[in-house]
Amino acid sequence: MVRYILQRILAMILTLLIILTVAFMVVRLMPGSVFDLDPELSDTAIKAMNAKYHFDQPMIKQYGYFMADVLFHNDWGTSIAMRPNVAVWDILKDRIPVTLKLNLISLFAALPFGLFFGIVAAINKNTLVDHLVSLMVVLFISIPSFIYAAGLQYFVGYKWKWLPLIYDPAAHGWAQFRSMILPMLALSFDPIARVARYLRAELIENINSDYMLLAKAKGLTFRQSIMRHALRNSMVPMMNIIIPMFAEVLSGSLVIESIFAVAGMGGLMVDSINSSDHMLTVAILMFYSLISLITILIVDISYGIVDPRVRMGVKG
Amino acid sequence: MDNDTILSVQDLAVSFRTYSGKVQAVRGVSFDLKKGETLAIVGESGSGKSVTTKAIMGLLAKNATIESGKILFDDHDLVKYKEKDFCKLRGKDISLVFQDPLSALNPIMKIGKQITETLVLREGLSRREAKKKAIELMEMVGIPDPETRYNEYPFQFSGGMRQRIVIAIALASNARILICDEPTTALDVTIQAKILDQIKQIKRDRQLSVIFITHDLGVVANMADRICIMYAGRIVEVGTADEIFYHPAHPYTWALLSSVPDLETKERLMAIPGTPPNMVAPPEGDAFAERNKYALAIDFEQAPPYFRLSDTHYAATWLLHPKAPKVEMPDVLKARIARMRQKAGLDNE
Repeated sequence: MVRYILQRILAMILTLLIILTVAFMVVRLMPGSVFDLDPELSDTAIKAMNAKYHFDQPMIKQYGYFMADVLFHNDWGTSIAMRPNVAVWDILKDRIPVTLKLNLISLFAALPFGLFFGIVAAINKNTLVDHLVSLMVVLFISIPSFIYAAGLQYFVGYKWKWLPLIYDPAAHGWAQFRSMILPMLALSFDPIARVARYLRAELIENINSDYMLLAKAKGLTFRQSIMRHALRNSMVPMMNIIIPMFAEVLSGSLVIESIFAVAGMGGLMVDSINSSDHMLTVAILMFYSLISLITILIVDISYGIVDPRVRMGVKG
Repeated sequence: MDNDTILSVQDLAVSFRTYSGKVQAVRGVSFDLKKGETLAIVGESGSGKSVTTKAIMGLLAKNATIESGKILFDDHDLVKYKEKDFCKLRGKDISLVFQDPLSALNPIMKIGKQITETLVLREGLSRREAKKKAIELMEMVGIPDPETRYNEYPFQFSGGMRQRIVIAIALASNARILICDEPTTALDVTIQAKILDQIKQIKRDRQLSVIFITHDLGVVANMADRICIMYAGRIVEVGTADEIFYHPAHPYTWALLSSVPDLETKERLMAIPGTPPNMVAPPEGDAFAERNKYALAIDFEQAPPYFRLSDTHYAATWLLHPKAPKVEMPDVLKARIARMRQKAGLDNE
């Protein structure tokens, strides 16, 4: 198991290096320079600045400088457009916790609801309850989160004035949490629906399996057989869905953060691309890649924990 | 219900609602299970044998209804039982061993836990007591090194071992009736024989009453005291094992016996022509008439009653009616029965 995890981590580091290279190349090969945006800069000034940031050197050399800085000094460069002359790392340092907090809370708040609806639908398969849950799932999955975001802002925030319209970074504790409820809600609908849908399908399959019949035949009540057998077995494939869902929530958060003015990574990414702030863009890309890879790693490891067949390396 | 009878099924009829209509899977089945006997129910797929046992255990699918009949156990009618009552009965009074041991165990739960589960949850044993009992049970069903195996998972067990575990689970709460639903069908032949011996021995030791479901007459020969032959949701012939094997009376029983090979079989094995009837609209007369070369005209019009051959032997075929033409069983079968008798040393009879 330890060997397996080490292998996975090594592969993950290699993947990250490749992504870093590709990200650097793609961003740098985009036409246009950050200095084009400012008509007041003189040619001499542009030249001087290009020299300062090594922009006048061949691509391969630029790549060498960049990799050396990142790998040996954790120096991701300096922001040029967004917050000029501030180190990229310092910008991210403030933003990452906000995004992680919002997204993690959204996902974890969504899970119990998703699980609940999935169980209810599976147990009441093909009844009115099941159909209502299915309807809800379709609505939650097919309508994009920013529609819900706008709706929530309009009704809950503006019309009924129950909750603040936008995220309030200055507030603390309860007040800040209150301002996070609307973006969290907007982000939760999709995971709730996905979890409910997958769990319903898995659970129905497990409820009809032979071992459930045995569980009943040996005298367990319906509730006991569901809780102890069907649900636990359904959770094995669920791991594979729930954990990567974090990456999906994060991508939904790109838009949601802008709508609710959350000072997180989402808004920063879009702005940095638009303003040709290359260093910042590469660093943000790396952040999202890292999160995705970590979720995949956690899935692989958790499989081994939940399913003894994987842990012991046996097929079948 | 007399004192010897532990379970009595009376005129049981079960049907399933499906998209193509109401399937009448069981149509008036009656039998008694005596204390300490092994009753075999034999029939081909879809004859209603498993449905009958599921009705006894209250494990019928949601789209099934018990149309009529009684299942008497300890002066209670199980047909009237609610799910809550069945939870107390299953495993404790009546236990079930399934057909497919490979899928019957929960793949991600330790073997030991699967055995002790009900002991802890229902009987209130402590974990340690339950473990001790589980290890005893595993020893009894012939699992070597039960202490280690207790903490292993089903995928670490072979098919035969898994079926032993399923039997151990069935016996965990000292059930009085053990229903074996084709317990050896999924296993290869050598393992089959071992498992059957095991069931026989446990039955003796614990004085269990066993209902043994199978489609394989060969398996039944060494196990059963009495045999019910089922076809299309009805029992067509019932008798002691000797009566069924040496004096079969129903053409379906003849066909079944003819289709089992023995070592001396030289001629082509007889297959039963045709397919079982569609149980959405079962035929009016004898359900087997369509496939029966001995069928009489009345077989297509009216279902035959049970004709008594002896106190224990009844068969539902018009051939036994006093006015019916005399029909002998096929020669192939006669020769085979003669061989069986010879082997059993009954030739002088």
